Amino acid sequence: MNSPISVSELSRDIKNTIERNFSYVFIKGEISNFKNHSSGHFYFSLKDSKSQISAVMWNSRVKDLIFIPEDGMNVLIKGRITLYETRGSYQIDVFEILPSGVGELQIAFEKLKSKLYDEGLFADRFKKPLPLYPERIALITSETGAAFHDFVKVTENRYPLVRILLIPALMQGANSAVSICDAIKKANSSEFKSEIIVITRGGGAIEDLWTFNEEKVARAIFNSKIPVVSAIGHEVDFTISDFTADKRAPTPSAAAEMIFPDAYDLKLRLNVTENSLKRQIYYRINKLKNELNSIERNYYFKRPTDLINEFRMNLDTILRDIKSVTGRKIRNVKNNIETNGKLLNSLNPENVLKRGFAIIRSEDKIITQSRQLKTKDEIQIRFSDGQSEATIK
Amino acid sequence: MAKKKVIEDTFGSSYKKLEVILAQLETEIEDHSLEEIIEKYQEAINLLKVCRKKLEEAELKIEKLSTEEDD
Repeated sequence: MNSPISVSELSRDIKNTIERNFSYVFIKGEISNFKNHSSGHFYFSLKDSKSQISAVMWNSRVKDLIFIPEDGMNVLIKGRITLYETRGSYQIDVFEILPSGVGELQIAFEKLKSKLYDEGLFADRFKKPLPLYPERIALITSETGAAFHDFVKVTENRYPLVRILLIPALMQGANSAVSICDAIKKANSSEFKSEIIVITRGGGAIEDLWTFNEEKVARAIFNSKIPVVSAIGHEVDFTISDFTADKRAPTPSAAAEMIFPDAYDLKLRLNVTENSLKRQIYYRINKLKNELNSIERNYYFKRPTDLINEFRMNLDTILRDIKSVTGRKIRNVKNNIETNGKLLNSLNPENVLKRGFAIIRSEDKIITQSRQLKTKDEIQIRFSDGQSEATIK
Repeated sequence: MAKKKVIEDTFGSSYKKLEVILAQLETEIEDHSLEEIIEKYQEAINLLKVCRKKLEEAELKIEKLSTEEDD
């Protein structure tokens, strides 16, 4: 128990203890003594007003940096603590450096923005359209955040037809980027088959929203097969994720308004549709009715009695014509008969006989000339009042 | 069978069908017989009912993806 241990053994123990307990640290501080070594590794100190820690960033990780650190920069660092046994000193093995001060953040933001822009990640041709009437959406947000509450409230009022799959994720802090990327992956692979992914969080300081300016988050959004709507912070907050998302909404509430149609409008539209349908069917039926009516109105179909009456009238006319024609004819005949009767009367031999003429017959022939008679011929003389016989001398 | 289909129809698909029928009635009305038009009209009225019912009865459903669902 009292036997001494070697320096190496102690160092080993300390190393194990430290490295086990500080396998992941997230630290904010200011960079000093920054050295960009020819090997490509970065060596520097991270300090605040009271303390400082040595830090090393190996060249394999340096290539992922979106900016070159400088002395005096305020940064956030993700890494782990390692013990360098040879010198008995500990240091931060840096995984990632994020800008922390507003100025640094702005520089990093612009750098990443122009890098992804150059790659074409913001191009319109990659923007996927959103379905008009989504049935299922995935919501990536913090379960406890106001954004979740706001989004759900607007959705409930506006379009309660939808089913929401909540995928809880950290929306700020060191682990948020990984958490969000993971959530995007889950939304894409889930059985739920979301039609839209909404990533939302409320407003906050630029540092709080910084996750959405991280390259891996921006790329995860870009690579999502399902269209992504990003609604991060307030209207004035623009993040790189907003640029790679298919749509950006200024606030969580605005995201719900952008994605979902308003059920109230839909009801009105249904009424309009119903009216249009009725108008169409009435129009069609009326048109057919009109066609029937116009056929019915045709002279021969509309008033058969008129037609019969007309025939009757025609018949009457014909009858009248016939009557008048025959009457005239009969009158003509009568006149003729009268005229002829007079003539006949005037030619009646009886009347001539009355005037003193006589008809002489011999052997039943009427004698009109004297040479027809010879002596001793027997003749009959017809007078108006009778007949006498005589012999020619 | 037909009943089952109505239940499976979503608001979006029903509404889209409705719009298609209305467009047909508005533009192609001369091409169809009265019987076809009445059939379409009846289908549209049924779709209207489905859409209205869905809007009236809708209740927002929220499910949570549990972290254990990791695959």
